[in-house]
Amino acid sequence: MKRTTTDHDSEGIGRRQLLSAVGGSAVAAALAGCSTLLSDGEAADQGGQSGGEISDEPIQAGLLTFTRGAPGVLGIQAQRGAELAVQRINDAGGIGGQREIELDVVNEGSNPLDSYNQFIEEEKEVTFGPISSGTHSQIAPEVEKNEVINVSTDGTVTTLYEETVPDPTYSFRFQNYDIMEVVTMAREAVERIGADNISTVAGVNPGYSFGEDEMRVFTQAIQKLTDAEIVYEGFPELGASDMANHITSINNEEPDVTFSSLWGGDVTTFVRQANANDMFENTTVFGTTLYSAAGDVPGDALAGTDIYSGSRNYYWGLPALGNWQPGRELFDAATQQESVTVPTAHYMSGYGAVTAWATAVEKAIDLLGTYPSQEQIAQVLEGHGFFTPAGYHNIAEDHQGASNSFAGQMVYDDDLGAARLEDVNTYAATETAPPPGVTGSDWLDSWSA
Amino acid sequence: MPERVDRDGTPAYRFLGVEVTRREAAFLVLGVVFLFVIPDIASLSDSLQLSVIHQGLLFGFAAVGLNLLLRHTKLTSFGHAAFFGTGAYATAVLARYAGVQSVGLLLLGAIAAATVMAAIIGVLSLRHTGLYFALLTLAFGQLLYAIALGQSALGGSDGLPIRPGPANQPLLFGTAFSPDVYQVLTYYLTVVVILIGLFVMYRITQSPFRNALDAIGQERTRARFIGLPVRRYVWAAFVISGIYGGVAGGLYAVVRQYVRPEGTLFFLRSGDILFMTILGGFRTLVGPLIGGVVLIFLQDVGQDITQYYEFLTGVVLLILVYGFPRGIVGSLRSGGIVNTRLGELRREPSVLSAWGRSAAQSLERKVTEAMTSLRIILFGVD
Amino acid sequence: MAVTPTAALVQTLNGIQFGFILFMIASGLTVILGILDVLNLAHGELFSLGAYTAIGVFGFIIGIIGPPGGGVVGTAVFVLAVLAAVLVTAAILLPVGTLFEAVFLRQIYDRDQVYQLVLTFALLLILLDVKKFIWGDSSIRTDAVYSAINTIPTSELVGLNYPTYNVFVILVGSAVVVGLFWFFERTKTGRIIRATAIDREMATAIGVSTDRVFTLVFALGAFLAGFAGAMAVPPTSATLEMGTNPLVLSFVVIVIGGLGSLRGAFVGALLVGVIRSWMITLYPPGEIAAPFAIMALILLVKPEGLFGTWGETA
Repeated sequence: MKRTTTDHDSEGIGRRQLLSAVGGSAVAAALAGCSTLLSDGEAADQGGQSGGEISDEPIQAGLLTFTRGAPGVLGIQAQRGAELAVQRINDAGGIGGQREIELDVVNEGSNPLDSYNQFIEEEKEVTFGPISSGTHSQIAPEVEKNEVINVSTDGTVTTLYEETVPDPTYSFRFQNYDIMEVVTMAREAVERIGADNISTVAGVNPGYSFGEDEMRVFTQAIQKLTDAEIVYEGFPELGASDMANHITSINNEEPDVTFSSLWGGDVTTFVRQANANDMFENTTVFGTTLYSAAGDVPGDALAGTDIYSGSRNYYWGLPALGNWQPGRELFDAATQQESVTVPTAHYMSGYGAVTAWATAVEKAIDLLGTYPSQEQIAQVLEGHGFFTPAGYHNIAEDHQGASNSFAGQMVYDDDLGAARLEDVNTYAATETAPPPGVTGSDWLDSWSA
Repeated sequence: MPERVDRDGTPAYRFLGVEVTRREAAFLVLGVVFLFVIPDIASLSDSLQLSVIHQGLLFGFAAVGLNLLLRHTKLTSFGHAAFFGTGAYATAVLARYAGVQSVGLLLLGAIAAATVMAAIIGVLSLRHTGLYFALLTLAFGQLLYAIALGQSALGGSDGLPIRPGPANQPLLFGTAFSPDVYQVLTYYLTVVVILIGLFVMYRITQSPFRNALDAIGQERTRARFIGLPVRRYVWAAFVISGIYGGVAGGLYAVVRQYVRPEGTLFFLRSGDILFMTILGGFRTLVGPLIGGVVLIFLQDVGQDITQYYEFLTGVVLLILVYGFPRGIVGSLRSGGIVNTRLGELRREPSVLSAWGRSAAQSLERKVTEAMTSLRIILFGVD
Repeated sequence: MAVTPTAALVQTLNGIQFGFILFMIASGLTVILGILDVLNLAHGELFSLGAYTAIGVFGFIIGIIGPPGGGVVGTAVFVLAVLAAVLVTAAILLPVGTLFEAVFLRQIYDRDQVYQLVLTFALLLILLDVKKFIWGDSSIRTDAVYSAINTIPTSELVGLNYPTYNVFVILVGSAVVVGLFWFFERTKTGRIIRATAIDREMATAIGVSTDRVFTLVFALGAFLAGFAGAMAVPPTSATLEMGTNPLVLSFVVIVIGGLGSLRGAFVGALLVGVIRSWMITLYPPGEIAAPFAIMALILLVKPEGLFGTWGETA
């Protein structure tokens, strides 16, 4: 779809002259808007070069993420991760040793679709992001139509590659998706307190689609792994100031396990109010994204709690920093950056998305000897394996990233001035994700009870 | 063909019941041409996005509907997003669950749903006037918002895609177009719908129905005494205004191919629609439309240039309230404040500093007054 | 699922506690509405401004007196200090409310009502970014108040497991209610305000300065909203968006109670608080819709709200 401006203009003017000759200038003016309709929109592959030398023109890349407000807790981590990856690539001379990346970061605000379209209008060669599942469902079909690769950082909704874009070509997702993080925590609950000890389960999840989906998947998974009964499901609004009702309901039921997919500031509110209500005397909390509040939750709120959190495909403390140099370097670089207390899973979302794309392009250059087209990069990305400081990752044929997941007990670390995970367990992608081609729901159904 | 008539001594033309002077006709033609060339202007400029203008026009169209109530019956609806959202969601539901692909049918569905919704909400909320009415419409809007959020069949907070059939998109003339062509074609569809909508609204404002509404707006009791079926008329106006919202919402869904509760049903969208009306000038026909484009554009561009774009919008609204209460179109009209002030300025440029002085003085006076009041509140009268 | 009597009690207390916060916001809104005939869309922002300000004031005052000392005296000093901080916060909101009314609103009373909506909405947007400018984008918190007050034993004494801070909110909230009704029933200023609400022209005729009454009422509303913000923030955090929900719920409260009715606002606030609380327990998905459903229902049965309009009785 790459059109040069000059082409477009001369064509438009030519046609306008013609029209004014046949229908007078008013008609020409009135129909001028049709230029988009008449120009052949399906010309060359965008970003592709017809072969030969690799130019040293910088690569224009876009990142759609939350840069402010409550979800900024997640989004800024992803942004910093992506920025560090870009900086490291550029310091090494850029893609193919020639092309540096220029990353344009735009807030995933109330109209993410417009922001995404602006990226396309600006002829970005690759886009990263978004964070929110809703946004991802919205832009993934556009990605396919625009034929410009998007490697999403998060937007981990399970149904994306099952229903929304069942047969993707240009849309990829790096981070472990919802079903993986939820199954991780169901397995973690069984691992920690034993299947026989789980007979009642409650949930406190954010009151929007993400939270409802997570609770549904957790219910399905835990009921396969144990004989548990669901005794309470609460859905506090995003940014709720008062979760006393939900906490009282938990205290009333005293469930063996309380599942939660709260994130960011809501985690702090929940943990503080739960602690004040002595909730942790009655239950153990297992959460998928509680650790996203690592830098926010105060020490006294975590004292005496019983919380296990997942950390998607990255936990900075594993392997231990002392014997894993890349991890050490990433941690040090990250904590130097603005507003990163400790890098959380979303940090890797940004870092890994950029790395996935960049390593795939490098691979394609090695294979082709020229700069690859969008289609060629997409082909390489399918089944692409690569390393980040979090370990080895693989983008499966279904375009979904598959990596190890981590979970451990969330405690406060005074030296760090933030929460950390203790006694971390690792789960392989094969334990937490359905094989490509099988939907999450079918996969869970197929488990023997 | 246009027929020549005489209006207060100036020659005017009448065509399809629309009567315009030559000057007005020129503006009309210019406006229509402008609407049609916007896609080309947008493609030449980086800062101007067709989708933003398009969205402004759609919300503005809903505001044109709202204006029927506001201008004539003096009823302030603070829940017009309910109809916009109903239209949008009806389209989404038809596309997803009934597999309807044709844009025309989808829009008909939007109109039908919005009509029913407006009829129901109208019956329930028109028992009240004034702020009670505003609050009631707001509450019904929020109720719909809460329902859309809570129903997984409606996609919850993630919303629903409008991507029916094998083509994964709505069909225009039975054809699936590529994204940028689709964008331009749906834009032209919007322009055509808007022109028809404005024409219909114009005819309504030329009819006896409008006079009845005006009478009701001025004094309900008197209107009832002279035999007007007040409730039925107001209800009819409410439904018509709801339909405009529904059409706009349906088009919005078709254009963006995605609906979410926050973008369509949230009470701040109702606020937007109301403020667009005022911003553009609620005593005019096309004002709300222009208000829509300006407000959406302001919000969009504001986000690019400053992180304090809410402040920017707030200040624009303040200036509007104090400086240009008749809105953009109202103020630009002959005899409007802009023309008057410009005239003064041309005659005597130094008048500018006088305006500045008087504004500063009046602000200073107000602050002093406020501080005196505060002192009295805190320490009593001495 | 079975709800034990204890849980039922705690759930109701939760609702009452939430209701008191809601009342403090809604009471100002409804009095402004009853007297000035203005729907203040920026009221939620005043609440949020109170919350943000309170975090600073709490920090300052606790910085002076230090963490709660041991024993009854130490605890009492700390509680009094917290109360003082709340009052200081509310007092800071007074001039804000005064300026709002005297500088902005006063000029447009005689215009169409819709301009007041535009104006207060413009002020809402401006306050939103003023907060962003002063306190930044991310949420801020004060940790000490909530945890320190919770260490005081109260509900434990009767064998209940209920945070002391919530007890504190209910007690202070009750005091505010009593104080407000006393103010409007017994004091001269309160009676003047009510007289103005009943008949503005008559009040002017007998020498009441309506200008001053209007300013006073608006300042009072801001004071209450700031008070509510200061009371509400310790268990949670102050965020830019925190004003929206209370604003919308306050609309529901004052419509249920009857526009302008203080008594209606009180009953409406507790009703919304408790029903919402029970909804979360028994049917969690109904949390958001419940208040609006109650409102629609009450309006169908009693279109002018539970207590009609304000003036004759407080």
